[in-house]
Amino acid sequence: MGSTILGLGHHLPAEVERAGVRRPIAVEAVGPSTLAVRAATGALAQAQVGAEAVDFIVFATMTPDVTFPGSGCFFQAQMGCDTVGALDIRAQCAGFLFGLVIADQFIRTGTHARVLVLGAEVHSSGLDYSDAGKHIAQLYGDGAGAALLGTGNGTAGVRGAAIHSDGRQHQRFWCEYPSSRQHPLRMTIDNFRRGRHFPSIDLDAVRSFGEQSLPAVIGEALAAAHTSAERVDRYIIGHVLPEVAERVGARLGAAASRVNIPAARHGHLTAAALPVALSEEVAQGRLGAGATVCLAAAGAGFAWGAAVVTL
Amino acid sequence: MRNSRILGLGHYVPPRVVTNNDLTALMDTTDEWIQQRTGIRERHFSDGWTGAADMGVDAAREALQRAGIAAQDIDCIIFATLSPDVDMPASACLLQDRMGISGMPAFDVRNQCSGFLYGLAVADKFIKAGTYDHVLVVGSEVHSTGLDLTTRGREVAVIFGDGAGAVLLGPEPDARRGILSTHLHADGKFAEKLWLESPASRARPRLTEEMISGDDPRVFPKMEGRYVFRHAVTRFPEVIREALDANGLAPSDLALLIPHQANLRISQMVAMGLELPEEKVFNNIQRYGNTTAGSIPIALYEAVAAGRVHDGDLVCLAAFGAGFTWASALMRW
Repeated sequence: MGSTILGLGHHLPAEVERAGVRRPIAVEAVGPSTLAVRAATGALAQAQVGAEAVDFIVFATMTPDVTFPGSGCFFQAQMGCDTVGALDIRAQCAGFLFGLVIADQFIRTGTHARVLVLGAEVHSSGLDYSDAGKHIAQLYGDGAGAALLGTGNGTAGVRGAAIHSDGRQHQRFWCEYPSSRQHPLRMTIDNFRRGRHFPSIDLDAVRSFGEQSLPAVIGEALAAAHTSAERVDRYIIGHVLPEVAERVGARLGAAASRVNIPAARHGHLTAAALPVALSEEVAQGRLGAGATVCLAAAGAGFAWGAAVVTL
Repeated sequence: MRNSRILGLGHYVPPRVVTNNDLTALMDTTDEWIQQRTGIRERHFSDGWTGAADMGVDAAREALQRAGIAAQDIDCIIFATLSPDVDMPASACLLQDRMGISGMPAFDVRNQCSGFLYGLAVADKFIKAGTYDHVLVVGSEVHSTGLDLTTRGREVAVIFGDGAGAVLLGPEPDARRGILSTHLHADGKFAEKLWLESPASRARPRLTEEMISGDDPRVFPKMEGRYVFRHAVTRFPEVIREALDANGLAPSDLALLIPHQANLRISQMVAMGLELPEEKVFNNIQRYGNTTAGSIPIALYEAVAAGRVHDGDLVCLAAFGAGFTWASALMRW
């Protein structure tokens, strides 16, 4: 038996103007775990269960609260989910999709009944808002989304998914330092002064990879779900460049009203982008029970994927 | 529903051996002090431009070769580390690049000392569910570039070593064999009892010169040793018993216990608590130190190579560490 979404929640910090654009930015000194608690509280309320009902946590982020342990542990402590397992994964912009697929396996194999999947990021504390870096910094926002997955009953649920990675172009969209491979110390004052702890992006490579990979992986997920593009009520497409998501929507032949582009509203929320956008749609009453959604994302790694979910 | 089982094992440790006496040249410590508290005699440190994925590749290639599976037939790569090659993307992607393969999903698991078992549990579920047939699970750490190798950092620095291990997991049709069950836990209330703070996205800004090289640097791991010890000797036996109970088995059924190599004194207390004789518990921390996500696959590799695991044996893998996180996996070899 597959899994189904029992509840959705999201949290976006207040918008702040920085580097000439308005973005949701966590001004208070909190990490993604704290934003995720706010998102998860909404997801559990929607599912009408308490924190004690959660039997596993999957936390996707690329901006962890501290270097280690993982944000899942910090989340668990704040949420009061006792001693259930808390898996922390890194799959960058596709992190939520990877987490969703993993959670689905836990439910399919029958060992767990309610798995909380979180995608949460605090990018703003690690970006270069100076003139040298603001063209990258202004692309991002902070936020968190949560989905509580449970055992499915019939047609609703995670109906098909595909996830992929290709490390050959990892330097096109990366943050090099700290780097365990640099001896004798992985982070030096010299790296710091040169700004090597900030992310860098080859926008042309990332654009062209997104435009190639997204339509293909969406096709794959639709096939896995045994459905077709015209049955999809909404595409939610996560990419650092909103115009890439727009072009992918057009290539799929979907009217603009059927394509949700989170980065166009909030800046890129990476692992949080898809659950935030899906939760917003439901909260605003634009999608309800029975609606079929295709979630897709492509980004650093490169890692990409798509999932077809019926609410 | 089918099970999963280990089709092949591999490991890699860098050639440079650093003895306790070698450390005395860097900090005020002694061979006797380190051995008495941890059992560690020596560890391996990498050199040059070597990251977690670079070592993981050697371990992975050996696991594939022993499994008789070609690299392009891997359906999914799970990489457990707390010392990634770069801040992002995941070391799993760098491993893919080094191995010349692409397309299959590749992601990192960041669960510290329990990372390998968390990764193994996810891999097991992918195979049990029929989603994938061949999943590569790598645990690899380059600790040596992230330690405060001075007297100030000695409590933690003497414990850790570099190393990598890998398993190739495949399907097992017999439900009585292979991985019987996995058990994963965490308790984040103790997250700051064994941790590495910076860079920290919760700080504003995430990283400063002060954090890197101030009087109290935040870029090195910190540990409240006695606290960790106390929880470890409770959680280890608890999660091992949980796995045995889930399968209707008892400690006396175990042929071999492979605990995460955190500290020889912890392993000895766990063995005593479960009434396991010395020959049923595998330890190699004496030669490698604590290699976090690398320790269990390296130890399992050595146990198999030493003829300590036989067909049909009941083997338990167990871990406890930062998070706190703890886990176990029970398998019929």
